[in-house]
Amino acid sequence: MISFQATDDELAFVAVAKEFAKDRIRVQARESEQVEKVNEDLIEEANELGFLALELPEDWDGLELPLITQTQIMKALSYGDLGIVQGFTGAGDAASLFRLLFEHPGLQQVKDDNLTQGDSTTILVDLSDTEKPLGSTVSVQKDGNSYLVNGKTEPIRLAQYADTCVLFAKDQDGSPVILLLNDDWTVEDGDYRLGLLAAGIGKLTFEDVRVPESSVLATGTKAALIMKKVQTRNYIIHAAKQNGLMEAALDYATEYTAGRKAFGQEIAKFQGVSFKIAKMAIETRIVNHLTWEAALKADEDSAMAHGLALRAIHRAHKGVRFVTDAAVQLLGGHGFIQEFPVEKWMRDAQAQVALYGRERDYLTQRGAEILSGQVEVPVE
Amino acid sequence: MISFELSEQQNQIKEMTHWFAENEIRPMALEADRLGKVPDDWLHQVNQMGIQLNTSSFGGGGKSSGKRKKEREGNRMGVLATEEMAWGDPAVTLSLPGAGLGGPPIESSGTAEQKERFLSIFTTDKPRWGAYALTEPEAGSDASGVRTTARKVDGGYILNGQKIFITNGGRASWLVVFATVDPKLGRAGQRAFVVEKGTPGFSCTKLVKKMGLRANETAELLLEDCYVRTENLLGGEELYETSGSKPSGFQVAMKTFDSTRPIVASMAIGIARAAYEYTLDIVKKEYPKQGNYFHLASEILAEAEQDIQAARLLTWEAAWMADHGIANAKEAAMCKAYAGQIALDVCAKSLELLGPTGLEGHLVEKLYRDVKVFDIFEGTNEVQHLVIARRQYAPYDIRV
Ligand SMILES: Cc1cc2nc3c(=O)[nH]c(=O)nc-3n(C[C@H](O)[C@H](O)[C@H](O)COP(=O)(O)OP(=O)(O)OC[C@H]3O[C@@H](n4cnc5c(N)ncnc54)[C@H](O)[C@@H]3O)c2cc1C
Repeated sequence: MISFQATDDELAFVAVAKEFAKDRIRVQARESEQVEKVNEDLIEEANELGFLALELPEDWDGLELPLITQTQIMKALSYGDLGIVQGFTGAGDAASLFRLLFEHPGLQQVKDDNLTQGDSTTILVDLSDTEKPLGSTVSVQKDGNSYLVNGKTEPIRLAQYADTCVLFAKDQDGSPVILLLNDDWTVEDGDYRLGLLAAGIGKLTFEDVRVPESSVLATGTKAALIMKKVQTRNYIIHAAKQNGLMEAALDYATEYTAGRKAFGQEIAKFQGVSFKIAKMAIETRIVNHLTWEAALKADEDSAMAHGLALRAIHRAHKGVRFVTDAAVQLLGGHGFIQEFPVEKWMRDAQAQVALYGRERDYLTQRGAEILSGQVEVPVE
Repeated sequence: MISFELSEQQNQIKEMTHWFAENEIRPMALEADRLGKVPDDWLHQVNQMGIQLNTSSFGGGGKSSGKRKKEREGNRMGVLATEEMAWGDPAVTLSLPGAGLGGPPIESSGTAEQKERFLSIFTTDKPRWGAYALTEPEAGSDASGVRTTARKVDGGYILNGQKIFITNGGRASWLVVFATVDPKLGRAGQRAFVVEKGTPGFSCTKLVKKMGLRANETAELLLEDCYVRTENLLGGEELYETSGSKPSGFQVAMKTFDSTRPIVASMAIGIARAAYEYTLDIVKKEYPKQGNYFHLASEILAEAEQDIQAARLLTWEAAWMADHGIANAKEAAMCKAYAGQIALDVCAKSLELLGPTGLEGHLVEKLYRDVKVFDIFEGTNEVQHLVIARRQYAPYDIRV
């Protein structure tokens, strides 16, 4: 039956997340950006509250929550500050892979580190789209039973803090492969100014890194299948995070325009302002719903999940750019200066969409799926 | 005759400013952004070369009263030149010495003596700036809401109030400051004063940190019992007496917009073009020549190119009208509203094409941070829409 009612458990979890977002995350946003790192105590607090283990398998002491629950929690957290949420260390974008391959022998060391230290960080470098232009020079060569990795990646979130790296790639014959690398790289200090400055963005350089057979997590069609599943889950999780930022900007701009006066009245009373707020509200809700729909399908193990996730992330990219820009616009000159949070949110939003896939590429991929009537792979 | 060809003189100024933008401004764009200022020695050097930012006129032929009737083209020259300069870098351009946005009100409303006194200081011995101080904490879009007071005393006025977001406000040798002799009079009570640096009671209290345009100074100013001589009342007492009940101080503030908005629009266009050309260059080299990504890039670039030219033609039209003395408030608002918006869009599209790579050390991310304010200052996008709509509905006696 159609319902938009979250469960009691979800509501309780989201309430904790929202409080944490407002009281702990929001207040540290500027400082984290300035020092280009999230405060370690804050990461520890987030970890203790379970926020860093939502996607991780129970077998790894994770919460292994369904995506529909995770989307609500990630949205609530990102309401505090996307820059901080993206700077939380831990399993990051590789969490979904750990969830899918939790028993893989090649991952037992990562699992142990995760359980014992709790502060190890993994990044996901996705090179599966070999046509993607610009940036990456990484090549993966199959050499007997092992693989040889060379080259430099594009800027990746959490690169500065990573202990392990999961690599989605294709070898010299175009065959998909998933590799696990352990600290076998150097990270370049980059000149980043746009946004997500606390997210440890950096480029990894691999020089003749040999990945032994034991660290080959999957190959061939199995690897392709897993990649798609992980991508699907990440699109959904990121769309939810972006939705949290949208809601933050919407709420902030609503409150501001309700209080700010010009021409003798609250500017909210001008339709130029109120209609924009209304559009922001519509867009924020749409992204929420498309994300929920994709999450539900993924949780149901539906063949449609990948397409719906593409749809959600495309709309979330468009939406987060629109809403954060609109918030700056509605604050006028105050929107452009650092005493107000909206300029940072607009920068963070743009950095986020730059890191997480080209908007129109998602649309084209989705379109191609619609046209081909392709049956999708199950996601769980 | 309708023509979109540049005249010889227009071509010259375009080429000259482009050369300067490419060789002097662009190379320091990212460094100035990092430093949060344009280095003083550079400004000195440039000033010695006689390069300044003058938003009111770039020469361009005599007035129609001259002996040989030559078509006035100062506004067109202005938009052509500023597009090139902003293409080099907008923050550096806005920091160039000169009267800046303070120039137009002095030219349009100052007495001959005031013009001479304030506009002749921009000499090559050292860089100097002028500034325009209208905005206050509670008065931005609503310029009639100015709360800075001007109390008439013997020989002058005492100013009290606060100004915010003033471009080059801390370093300016003088600023055109708008104040009210009586807030109850609304627009009619407004006066424009030229406040000189060092005047007791006048201080710069803060330089704000911003999303972009970081190399350009944005100041908060305080006027505390600041005595300004009557000679510095813009236009003199006569201007306000002759205009009777008309809101002439307010008019001084508003009048300049019709010539400065096309200039601001052309800067936005310069930024958009910079992002577009930078990205086009990379796409040509690095993108595949066929397939999905080729089509994606073709579409994005074609849209960007079209939007830029659309904005440019609107801007040229507004400038052409100004050159011919045709009322252009609607066209000035149209070009500003459109250019401000598409410029951000073009920068975002360029970033989309550059992907994660664009985040590190590439000019486009800086342009993206710079460009947003072009949809805000000199009248926000919403205010431009109001100006346009008001003129559109005027024949029907409907004031929106
Ligand atoms: C970097 C920078 C440089 C600047 N330089 C200068 C300078 O040199 N000199 C100077 O005097 N000022 C300067 N400004 C100020 C700038 O011109 C103002 O910020 C701008 O006019 C908007 O005013 P505000 O910030 O008070 O916004 P507000 O007027 O508070 O506007 C807030 C929002 O309300 C909307 N709004 C207001 N009224 C209406 C309406 N009637 N209908 C629909 N929407 C409405 C606006 O469009 C905006 O979206 C600068 C600002 C910046 C950021």
